[in-house]
Amino acid sequence: MDLLQQLNLPLAEAAEKEIGWNIFFYSGLVFAIVLVFATLAKKDLKNRVFTSLPTRLAEHLYLFLEGMTVNVIGPNGKKYVPFLLAIWTFIFTGNIMGLLLQATPTADWSLNIGMAVITVVYVQYEGIKANGLLGHIKHFSGPKLGGFMILVSGLIFVVEIVSECMKLVSLSLRLYGNIEGGHIVRSSLDSIIAGVPIGGLLLPIKFFTCLIQAFVWTILTCTYLSIATSHGHDDEHEGDHGHQPALTEAHA
Amino acid sequence: MNKFALLGLGAIFIIIGFVVKDQSWTRPEMFAGLQLDLGKTITNIGVFLLFIPVINMYFYVPLKEAMDARNHELESTFTEAEQLRVQMQTLKSDYEARLIKTEAEARETIQNQIKEAQNLRQQLMSEAADRADALIRSAQAEIEQEKNQTIATIRTHVVDLTLAAAQKVIGENMDSEKNRRLIAEFIETVEVAS
Repeated sequence: MDLLQQLNLPLAEAAEKEIGWNIFFYSGLVFAIVLVFATLAKKDLKNRVFTSLPTRLAEHLYLFLEGMTVNVIGPNGKKYVPFLLAIWTFIFTGNIMGLLLQATPTADWSLNIGMAVITVVYVQYEGIKANGLLGHIKHFSGPKLGGFMILVSGLIFVVEIVSECMKLVSLSLRLYGNIEGGHIVRSSLDSIIAGVPIGGLLLPIKFFTCLIQAFVWTILTCTYLSIATSHGHDDEHEGDHGHQPALTEAHA
Repeated sequence: MNKFALLGLGAIFIIIGFVVKDQSWTRPEMFAGLQLDLGKTITNIGVFLLFIPVINMYFYVPLKEAMDARNHELESTFTEAEQLRVQMQTLKSDYEARLIKTEAEARETIQNQIKEAQNLRQQLMSEAADRADALIRSAQAEIEQEKNQTIATIRTHVVDLTLAAAQKVIGENMDSEKNRRLIAEFIETVEVAS
């Protein structure tokens, strides 16, 4: 049973354009573009002042991600920058590729789920590292409750586990929906007048979407890391970590 | 996690993805509209597991090291500048202290020199006055001596003249030695009286 076909959503039509396993050509292209960018950026690293554009962009990207981790997680969050840098560069480059080429890895839900799996597993791994296995599992049951209220803890535990699983769906579908949705809208606009690419007018908005989606994925990862590792930090910050992720999730 | 372990794990996932790609369970019918292919998901997990350590080693680590080195260099430059500023401040304070000390020493030396000059002047004046007194005393003694000598000479001449006059007045019966003594006694008496 295909739920989307049953609902008769436009996404069902998009399925006809599936390029199958050729998507890994585009995935490899993302890999290559990032490596070329890294190579160009590294050329100027020996200088005292970074003057070349790629190096300055890399520096700003690093500072942006570092600032984001420090703001969301705290000073302890700097160690997650390498992972977030990988996520951000992969998603952003993949998204941007969709503006110029016919396909993009981030418009394939299967690939996005792969990245979401790695993100969620990484968050759990860091949570276990920060709190220990038992501490991390206890973390899912919410605050300590006594008496018959322990049933509520059990309920919270189940809800939290489901919530963790749903992070896979929320992360991957959000990216997939935005990028693939953008492609569909552009194709639809292009088909209004044959031969006139009206959809090109959407490029600035799509570029903005590419940027925002890369940002959303990374900031949500920061938020998940903050929640998962919060008990490993100072207790005095516990309250902050408990509230900020919810706010960030709401904004996202 | 170890970077090489991630690379190995990524390669394993890619192989698994390609191995299972044509199996029916990888394409759940429920998500056919969304083109879910778990084979691609597994392969992409592998690709991304390769991507993370490669980007980390090839891009993140050199970038971080360069930025840290630059920050370190800036910090050391600022520290050095601060140290130089403190050193300059210390040198300035030392210089000012030495200047004040030198000025005080110079002032003291000048005062001492003035005092010494005044003492020398006083001493010279005192010596000059003593020498002048001595000269005056010496001149007075000499004058006194000359006066006494002159008086004695005059007295001799007066005695001689008186004797000569008396010889002429009294005649030849008088002993010249005896007359000479009488006249001398007379003159002594006259001098004492005067």
